[in-house]
Amino acid sequence: MLELRDVDVFIDASQILRKVTLSAGESEAICLVGRNGAGKTTTLRTIMGYRRPAAGTITFKGEAIGGLPTHAIAARGIGFAPEDSGVFADLSVAENIEIATWTRPGGRPAAERLALAYEIFPRLRGYAARGGAQLSGGERKMLSIARALALDPDLLVLDEPFEGLSPAIIPLIGESISAITRLGRTIVIAESNIHHVPAWTRRLYVIERGEIIFAGTLDEAHRDRAVLRVIGGRAS
Amino acid sequence: MLFLVAAGLQLVFGVQKILNLACGSFYALGAYAGVSAVTWALGHGLPAPLFVVALLAGGLALAVIGPPLERLLRTIDGRDESFQLLLTFALVLMLEDVIRFVWGPAPVQLRGAYLVYGQVTVAGSTVPVYNLFVIAAGGVIALGMGLLLTRTRFGRIVRATAENREVAAALGVDMRRVYRRVFTLGVALGTVGGALVIPATAAVSEMAIEVIVDAFAVVVIGGLGSMRGAFAGALIVGVLKAGAIATWPEVEMLAIYVVVIGVLVLRPAGLFAGATP
Ligand SMILES: Nc1ncnc2c1ncn2[C@@H]1O[C@H](COP(=O)(O)OP(=O)(O)O)[C@@H](O)[C@H]1O
Ligand SMILES: [Mg+2]
Repeated sequence: MLELRDVDVFIDASQILRKVTLSAGESEAICLVGRNGAGKTTTLRTIMGYRRPAAGTITFKGEAIGGLPTHAIAARGIGFAPEDSGVFADLSVAENIEIATWTRPGGRPAAERLALAYEIFPRLRGYAARGGAQLSGGERKMLSIARALALDPDLLVLDEPFEGLSPAIIPLIGESISAITRLGRTIVIAESNIHHVPAWTRRLYVIERGEIIFAGTLDEAHRDRAVLRVIGGRAS
Repeated sequence: MLFLVAAGLQLVFGVQKILNLACGSFYALGAYAGVSAVTWALGHGLPAPLFVVALLAGGLALAVIGPPLERLLRTIDGRDESFQLLLTFALVLMLEDVIRFVWGPAPVQLRGAYLVYGQVTVAGSTVPVYNLFVIAAGGVIALGMGLLLTRTRFGRIVRATAENREVAAALGVDMRRVYRRVFTLGVALGTVGGALVIPATAAVSEMAIEVIVDAFAVVVIGGLGSMRGAFAGALIVGVLKAGAIATWPEVEMLAIYVVVIGVLVLRPAGLFAGATP
C-alpha cells in the first residue's frame, strides 16, 4: 500500500533522512519509533508532500506520490494527524471533522464518514458544537484523528498520537486507533516511547539520526539490545 | 467605502499572508471602470436612475484581473514582508500608469449621477440619497461577507486555511484554488468600493496611494487579519475624517494618526486582533 525506498531528505543544507526504506501493507499497522529529533516527523511530512525527497521513491497504491502537492496526496486517500494536532481553533468540532467531506466528496457518502468518525471517538459527539479552542490535549488528538478519518482514507498517518497525554487517556485513544485498523485501514504511527507502541502493531521500524536501524516485530525489538539502547527501554 | 478596501486587504492578508498594497489600485481602477461603465450605459439609453447597476457591474467586471494578478503574486509567497511590500508597491505604480494610459492624466468625473436620487434632510442637514445608498450597500456587503465566512463551506475552508494552511492542505484543501478565489474576492471588494464612491467625487490617478494610507490606518486600528476590525476601524476613520472636515479640515490626517498612534501604544495588535477573520 505505502512504500518508501531509499528516501533522502535535506532541510536547508543538512541531511535529515538517509536512505529511509519502509513499507506498510494493506490493513497493516506499522510503527516508526525513535527518540526526539530522530526524523520521525520529517519522514511523515515527506510522505504528506510537505517535503520533497532529494532521492528515493515514495509509492502509494502502486503509484509514485513523491513531489505531489499535499492536497493531491490527501485526495488519493492518505489522512494525516500532525504531532501538534493542528485543530482549527476558529472552527467548531463538527466543522473540523466535516471539512474533509467537502474537499474529497467522492467515495463513501459524507453522512456515513461523519457517523464513523463519531463512532470511533464517541466523546467528540457531545462536543460537536464546541470551538476547537475549548478542547483538552487528549480531545484535540482525538479530533485530529477523527478529522483525518472523515477524509475516508485508505491510509492514516498519525504523528505521536499519544504524546503528552495522561496515562488514563492513552489506552482510550489506543483502542480507537485499533478499531480503525479493524476497519481494514492501513495505519502508520510515529512514536517516541516504545512502551506506548500498541501491542497490535504488526511491524516496527526504529529510526535513529535519520536512518532506519531496525525493522521487525515488537517482540523482536524488545529483545534487540541496540534498539533498547537507542529508544530508552530497559534490556532485561 | 474604506471598509471594503480594508476588508479586501484583511482577507488577503489573513489567508495568503500577503500584505497587498495594490488593494488601493483596485479601488482606483474600480472608480475609473465605474465612470466608464456608467458613461457608456447612459450613452446607450440606460435610464439615469439605473446608473448604479452599471456602476456595480463595472466594478465587479474588473475583478477579472484577480486571477492573473494572484498568479503573479504567488511568486512572492513565503518571501519576507519587505519583498512583498516592494512588489505590491511596484504593482501600485504600474497600475497607476495603466490608469493614466487608458483614462488620461486628468481627473475623471461622473457628472449628474450623484444627485439623480435627490436629497433628503436628516437631522437638520441635507444629505444626497446616494450617500445613504452607499452606506446601506456597505452594510449589506459587510453582512454578506460575515455570512460567507461563517455559514458557507467556502467560508469555513477559508478560515481553516487562514489558521493553518499546512493542515488544511492535508485535509484536501487545494491552496491555489482558495488563494485565487480569496484574492479575486479581495480585488472585487476594492473595485466595487471604488466604483461606489465615484459618483460623489472625481477619479484621480493618485487615489490609490491615498486610500492605501487610509486603509492601513483602518487595519492598524482594527487589527491585522480581522474582518470585524476592518469594519470597526473603517467606521472610526470615517467618522474622524468627517468630523475633522466639518470642524477643522486642516487636522484631518492628524486626527487619524493621533488615533493610530494611540492604538499602537495602548493595543499594539489592534482593537480586534485575534478575533475571527
Ligand atoms: N524545519 C526544520 N528546520 C531545521 N531542522 C529541522 C526542521 N525540522 C526538523 N529538523 C531537524 O530534523 C531532525 C529530525 O527532526 P524530526 O523529524 O522532527 O524528529 P522527530 O519527529 O523524530 O522528533 C532534527 O535534528 C531536527 O532538528
Ligand atoms: Mg516529531
